[in-house]
Amino acid sequence: MAAQVMKTPRNVDIEITSFCNLRCTYCSHFSGPGDVKEDLPLESWLQFFTELGRCNTMKITLSGGEPFSRPDLRDIILAIVANRMRFTILSNGTLIDDEMAAFLAETGRCDLIQVSIDGAIDTTHDAFRGEGNFMKAIHGIHALQANHLPVSVRVTIHRKNVHQLDSIARFLLEDLELPSFSTNSASHMGLCRKNAAQTQLTVDEHSLAMETLLALTARYKGRINASAGPLADAQFWLEMEHSRRENREQPTGRGFLTGCGGPMQTIAVRADGVIVPCSQLCHLSLGRINQDDLGEIWRRHPELQSLRKRSRISLEDFPFCRDCPYTSYCTGNCPAIAYSLTGKIDHPSPDACLRQFLTQGGRLPEVTQILG
Amino acid sequence: MNEHNKRGVIANPLVILREEFDDRAILFDPETGNTFVVNPIGVLVWKHLDGHHDIDDLADIVCERAEAVPSDVTSHIENFVQAAVDLGLAGYEVK
Repeated sequence: MAAQVMKTPRNVDIEITSFCNLRCTYCSHFSGPGDVKEDLPLESWLQFFTELGRCNTMKITLSGGEPFSRPDLRDIILAIVANRMRFTILSNGTLIDDEMAAFLAETGRCDLIQVSIDGAIDTTHDAFRGEGNFMKAIHGIHALQANHLPVSVRVTIHRKNVHQLDSIARFLLEDLELPSFSTNSASHMGLCRKNAAQTQLTVDEHSLAMETLLALTARYKGRINASAGPLADAQFWLEMEHSRRENREQPTGRGFLTGCGGPMQTIAVRADGVIVPCSQLCHLSLGRINQDDLGEIWRRHPELQSLRKRSRISLEDFPFCRDCPYTSYCTGNCPAIAYSLTGKIDHPSPDACLRQFLTQGGRLPEVTQILG
Repeated sequence: MNEHNKRGVIANPLVILREEFDDRAILFDPETGNTFVVNPIGVLVWKHLDGHHDIDDLADIVCERAEAVPSDVTSHIENFVQAAVDLGLAGYEVK
């Protein structure tokens, strides 16, 4: 049976600018069609936000580039508020000052400001983000905290911080007293493709990261989370391994390309106003804001419908999955990384393949670690 | 009968009604970020919280447009409206 689709998207991810004051070595941007030379002017965004208001969209996530590099960011936020929406901002944190934090707090509509921090000390964080940016980001976090804003940190795990995860967790959760943080890892997109050897975890490092993060998750209960990267892999792969060992029945939704539910709730817009299914699938142009009807695109665009139908494609159809003992428990994971690695969206992501990981010498953490 | 029954009820204009599918809708309060699932009768009532309808009017509308309406419909609507008022989603019209 076809999944029901909402009349309009609940959430919209907007790359409000393609400009960033940093050039992090593993950034998922700066090498694709989403990296446009000119950002849309404020007026275009204001017009679009009135359409989102009519669509009853609830939440906007602003990213970039670096959203705080836009001099007119306050006007953008005020327009989001005026159109009855809430917002989240994904930032490197280096341009956030007390005045801006106070403004964000006054709106009363901020769900989260997520700041990227990759180390407990400057040399680790700055290794791939540039000198001086650790202290700037920490000042940004302090400004957000002083204004009682919901702030979280995203730690991107890479080859230079994978051995410091304990100290990073202690720094973020104990010293900075953040309620939680999330993790991912440098993945095969954007600049990272060019710098993969320098930044992406080896199989051994991935194994170590999984083991360390699971232990930290047990120590800091509920305060470390992930939807991608080593921690997410550890949790998902261990569940798959248990299912295989116990010969469990295939759970609903497993065994098919069900790894991404994004197109059921969320749509994205590039900095040049091109509407795309997801900011990581920025080559898939669905239309343009203020020219095309967002609701029509959401309900009827063939590319979106095709993405929604991925969940009907059985993993058994892929030679890649042939004879894999985990097929019944797998979801194929992220279509954007699958595309980046194989050139095909309708394909399981090799990056998230447990069998491949084990074949290459990867180790799953001991079961006792997740059971606490 | 509650004294509120004769007062018009008005929806908080900031609150969004999203009719997601045929049988389900949600109310979203952007001030708090809270969401509330509403059934089709709730949607019908919500759409008439315009300040011109009191509880009895709302009960009449439901009886007119819905099927198998229970005899204590007024009390159900009163509870729905009071819950909406308590949550800041609606208020009584001030005369």
